[in-house]
Amino acid sequence: MRKLLAVWLGKALTIAGKLIGKKSSSSPGHYALKLCPDLVKVLNTCVKKGIIVTCGTNGKTTTNNLMASALEAKGYKVICNKLGANMLSGIATTVLQQMNIFGKLEADYACLEIDEAYTPIVFDYIKPKVMVITNLFRDQLDRYGEIDITSDIIKRAIAKVPNLKLVLNGDDPLCVQFGMEKNVTPYYYGISEKVLPQTDDTKEGRFCPVCGEEQKYNYYHYSQLGDFYCPSCGFKRPDIDFNVTGVSLGSPMKFNINGQRMEINYKGFYNIYNLVAVYGAMNVIGENTDDFASLLTGYKPQIGRMQEYKFNKPVILSLSKNPAGFNQAIATVNTDKRKKDVIIAINDKANDGRDVSWLWDVDFDKIADENLNTLTTTGIRVYDISLRFKYADINVDRMTHDMAEAVTECLKTGSEVVYVLVNYTALYSTEAVLKKLGGEV
Amino acid sequence: MRIKIYHLYPDLLNLYGDRGNIECMRKRLIWRGIDAEVIMHTCDDGKLDLSDADIVFIGGGSDREQKIVCDKLLEQRKEIKEYVENNGTLVAVCGGYQLLGKYYKLHDETIEGLDILDIFTEQGKKRLIGNIVLEPDFIEGNIVGFENHGGRTYIGNHKPLGKVVYGYGNDEKTGYEGVVYKNVVATYLHGPLLPKNPKLCDYILTNALKRKYTDFKGLTPLGDELEEIANGYIVNRFKK
Repeated sequence: MRKLLAVWLGKALTIAGKLIGKKSSSSPGHYALKLCPDLVKVLNTCVKKGIIVTCGTNGKTTTNNLMASALEAKGYKVICNKLGANMLSGIATTVLQQMNIFGKLEADYACLEIDEAYTPIVFDYIKPKVMVITNLFRDQLDRYGEIDITSDIIKRAIAKVPNLKLVLNGDDPLCVQFGMEKNVTPYYYGISEKVLPQTDDTKEGRFCPVCGEEQKYNYYHYSQLGDFYCPSCGFKRPDIDFNVTGVSLGSPMKFNINGQRMEINYKGFYNIYNLVAVYGAMNVIGENTDDFASLLTGYKPQIGRMQEYKFNKPVILSLSKNPAGFNQAIATVNTDKRKKDVIIAINDKANDGRDVSWLWDVDFDKIADENLNTLTTTGIRVYDISLRFKYADINVDRMTHDMAEAVTECLKTGSEVVYVLVNYTALYSTEAVLKKLGGEV
Repeated sequence: MRIKIYHLYPDLLNLYGDRGNIECMRKRLIWRGIDAEVIMHTCDDGKLDLSDADIVFIGGGSDREQKIVCDKLLEQRKEIKEYVENNGTLVAVCGGYQLLGKYYKLHDETIEGLDILDIFTEQGKKRLIGNIVLEPDFIEGNIVGFENHGGRTYIGNHKPLGKVVYGYGNDEKTGYEGVVYKNVVATYLHGPLLPKNPKLCDYILTNALKRKYTDFKGLTPLGDELEEIANGYIVNRFKK
């Protein structure tokens, strides 16, 4: 009965939230959990073929939503926390919104992205069959302390689920370490050739997670990802189960997974990791992937994933949350050779991480190439990001607290395209501004 | 004029944008027509020779990386101690700050420090994390930054960097942050501390220049409007 009350309360709050124009992606679940703390346990019995969870610093929303979309394309009913609300309350919200008014739930799969810090709590309730870990980068340091702490949290979570199958990024030494935990079966994916120029950008996990010595690389993708080995203890990139080769970063991107040719209309090298993670997880859970590329055609990216708004010229919105994400976004902007205006918005609310010192770990200076027309800074921490550019000897054309002004001014310039790079809490307000100004997706 | 900045073990201690501090010192010299050279002394570089150093910087790292650095630094203890006692300019942040003390006591082990400052650190229960505002007595205005440390540092009779007007500080209780000793500035305010605190940066540069050039007349002012706005924004947002 408590469960039913909790479901009704949650559903009522969702409807009430919609009436006042809220997303309601986690608060209904928050209140429903107070009435019925083990609400999400229902997933263990009502999901017929299995629960797949995705965590990791970057790419979890994209990976999780791609997975749900691909499984739906195969005709399955899938429960998915699409909006990226990835703490226990977000998962509870997803569950109760999918239930009928009698509290019944039916699905073939559940695809859930989970915040790393919440995995031990969530795994007290739900027992996934497959867990994907995309990567571990420095992110929201003030919340987690340090990357080692995050690793320990994930290990505690893994220990709570018997016979867990792990789908791990084999190019990331910090992910590969989870494959050595007890009672897990690891599978690895990776990009098995040199693709990008071999630069020396922020390598954050360069030290062997096993013995602490500095790792070496045969080739290197970005951050700490690549064909790594430890010269001291022998820890190295494992044998890869899902191999990406033959990468061409044009539009569309082309590459092979285990020899199967893919042509996919996404921007950004990092998206190859998201795609091969989905491919890997589907295979591990027993789904056929012969038609993988066509399964992805129905997928709509969540807002802010290099999402294009149509004005008199395109305005492309990109969300990045940490140094690795921003460096990848900047690399993607640089592959666009059109004359461009760039707007960068930095906030420091709780969901962004209160600490903005990471701005100095991003190679922001690379944004100033020969195709840059104007540079605008904005957001709560507009002065911090502006100082970052000042000390890189890069001229900021406009500092403003007003995103609408920033976009409006850029629409008037002689550029061909506008890029808006934002961190987390600046995303939804920027989306609202772009819609209000008449941009169509 | 020419200033040589030694960045110690940037390959290990590079948490939280430490390079912002190095860049800030370098640029504020260059903008004044003073040559600046940054030397990265990494794990592979062997013995440390500070005979031509004007500024030494030690940053922060995770506990694991800090332990590796500590062993390396202990081998060079004499060199660093002599440099400091000889009025060498040293900037130590976070882990680097803790390492200058006698020891850092963790729950399960004690890391021996360089014993350059008469201070010690003990691991506390929760991490002290957040924006922080200080009132220093040796430069004008406020020092602003961000702290994130598990250790509580007890500074004994040392002079602090500043009085805490918002945030936790050295040990959460006594209301002071950091240490200033001779030409050493040691602090928990991590990462890009100096860009938002141009007066502190210039204080450090002045100390180094005075030691090297006895006829040094002082730094020419720079246009610090943006730095002051960034500093003032944090002060106004947090100081009550």
